[in-house]
Amino acid sequence: MKLLRLFLDIHPERKHVQMVLSTGVKMSLFLAVLFTFSTIGIRAEAADKENCLMCHKYRQIGRIDEQGRKRSYYVNENIYANTTHRNVPCRDCHTYITRIPHDPVTEEVNCANQCHIKPPFSKENFSHRKIIDIYNKSVHGIKKDDSEELKAAKPYCKYCHLNPIYRKVAAERIAPNTLLRCLNCHDKKGVTQAYKHITHRLRRKTSRSPQEIVELCSKNCHEDVEKMEKLKVSHETLEAVETYKESMHGKSVLLGSQNSADCISCHASSAIHDIYKKEDKNATINIANRAKICEQCHKGVNERFIQIDVHPNLEKDPILHFAAINLTFAFYGSVFGLLGLALLETIGRKKDGIKWQIRQGTTWRGVSKRWLNKYGPK
Amino acid sequence: MPGEPKRLEHPASVYLIGAIFMLITLSVLGVAIYQVTFSPEGPAVLVPLQKKLEEKKKSAILEEVRRQEEMEKHRHFHNMVEYPQLPEKDQPVCYICHSSYPHSKNKKVRSLLNMHTQFFVCETCHLEQKKGMKIVYKWYNPYEENPPGPFFGTSYDPETGNLVEVEDQFSKIAPYVVKGNRLVSAIQVQNAPLARDYVRVRDKLTPEQRDNVKKKFHVNIKPKGHECKVCHSKKSILDFKKLGFADNRTIDLQELNIKGLITKYETFYIPNLFK
Repeated sequence: MKLLRLFLDIHPERKHVQMVLSTGVKMSLFLAVLFTFSTIGIRAEAADKENCLMCHKYRQIGRIDEQGRKRSYYVNENIYANTTHRNVPCRDCHTYITRIPHDPVTEEVNCANQCHIKPPFSKENFSHRKIIDIYNKSVHGIKKDDSEELKAAKPYCKYCHLNPIYRKVAAERIAPNTLLRCLNCHDKKGVTQAYKHITHRLRRKTSRSPQEIVELCSKNCHEDVEKMEKLKVSHETLEAVETYKESMHGKSVLLGSQNSADCISCHASSAIHDIYKKEDKNATINIANRAKICEQCHKGVNERFIQIDVHPNLEKDPILHFAAINLTFAFYGSVFGLLGLALLETIGRKKDGIKWQIRQGTTWRGVSKRWLNKYGPK
Repeated sequence: MPGEPKRLEHPASVYLIGAIFMLITLSVLGVAIYQVTFSPEGPAVLVPLQKKLEEKKKSAILEEVRRQEEMEKHRHFHNMVEYPQLPEKDQPVCYICHSSYPHSKNKKVRSLLNMHTQFFVCETCHLEQKKGMKIVYKWYNPYEENPPGPFFGTSYDPETGNLVEVEDQFSKIAPYVVKGNRLVSAIQVQNAPLARDYVRVRDKLTPEQRDNVKKKFHVNIKPKGHECKVCHSKKSILDFKKLGFADNRTIDLQELNIKGLITKYETFYIPNLFK
């Protein structure tokens, strides 16, 4: 519970972590024992041999810079100890810092640097180089011919990635027996941390929810039509967010579905960063590769299936346009038709002189004019 | 039949069913109205009006500040945490102009000095100590005269070695002037007569007059605060024990971390920093 409380405290916006609360009693006990062991003794010290946290652990360390922007240099040691970078020494990324107290930082971190972490079964120090190479080739990588504006607008690593916090794994995803077997040979701390590191990436393409992915791609970027126009993107890209939200995929994601396709589901392979224009033969959405992408979710994908427009533009396609109009009429016709009939009935009754009354268990009282005309007063 | 007495004594279930139907009807009506007026799926007849109203409230400054805050989250990378902030009316007077990040001149130490605003009010370092003035330091909290603690930064968690997280997020060390048997707060709070009067009339003052009043706020304030050694040494003006600091934390504050940093780098890297 300690770790859970920590997770919820430190990152309230990641609400789905609360799913953990619904774990069964048996699993909870198992997890509690396991994760309690994994949290005890965790501190950022491992990565902070040079004691950078001596200053940076205080939340008010920071300043208002010359442009009036608030700069915070605070690193919460409890959170850092539960992030994927917890064992990476500060200066493996912040290589430009050579003395303490250091000069104002003007350089950016290069995620392609090698750090002093050796992944299991590897002789080389770890680096994000491979994925960065994939990314640089993709449509989002900065190219020589790009305009300055485009270069500045293209997202960099930190634009999408904050230092990821380990999320506790939902009980139904855990294979307790397998995990216990690991403990026969390996240290508890190492196993549980490795388990947390891997498991949340296991069953989905990304560890983020479809809603988070859609928000990530849209916010401040693809949904900003003015910005996209300036960057001279294709017409389809320009209206991509809007048309996605019109689509079945978009609507179910916006309604909370965890299984419907988000941007990454179709536009990237398991490498996540290999997004290309659809004309590019490397693109997952290229007509030659599209069937494979659809097959991730749909059975019986054939030539005709892959022709379905997943970013439908209701105004441009005449068939969709008329279908949309018909459905609109069906919707408004049924709802307002019913309400209209009820309204007409009410007006009619009022006109006939029947009184509207809620008290004493009846809604209408009195005798209608028509009845009086027909049968006369009593 | 008409003329017959009306049946009034319906069973309770009828009312219940009626209420459910009423609820359904009202929900459908509500959703239908939303569908027509604001929903992006419908004709959105009131959306232009909404946009027009929003346009009036729009502020370029506010938008830019929010955008910068969003960008800072990404530049920062290390999961920024939002802490509860004192409402502006409960902050001491200084914060209105100087904010929680008042230091910006000395490039080497500005951030380190700003870091201290988590623990100190401005007067703790910047109070001009007149001759014969006796000052004691204790924890100040705008909501409690004698906050009980525990306070952040006073002890380590024996399990993790990290500083213990505490509930009290607002208490800071503040100076009090000893007058006989009494301790008089040296903080300028917004409730003080001068501050209240200033807030009341500031819009009526000319810029020069306003400047004149602002100077009054600084009568007992020295522009350069204490040097590090004044607190971070065995002869510290702060009575760490009395302030509730654990013994090992006190030693760290007096001896290990800070003093080490100061003595090690005083002459080598930062020759003029601590003079």
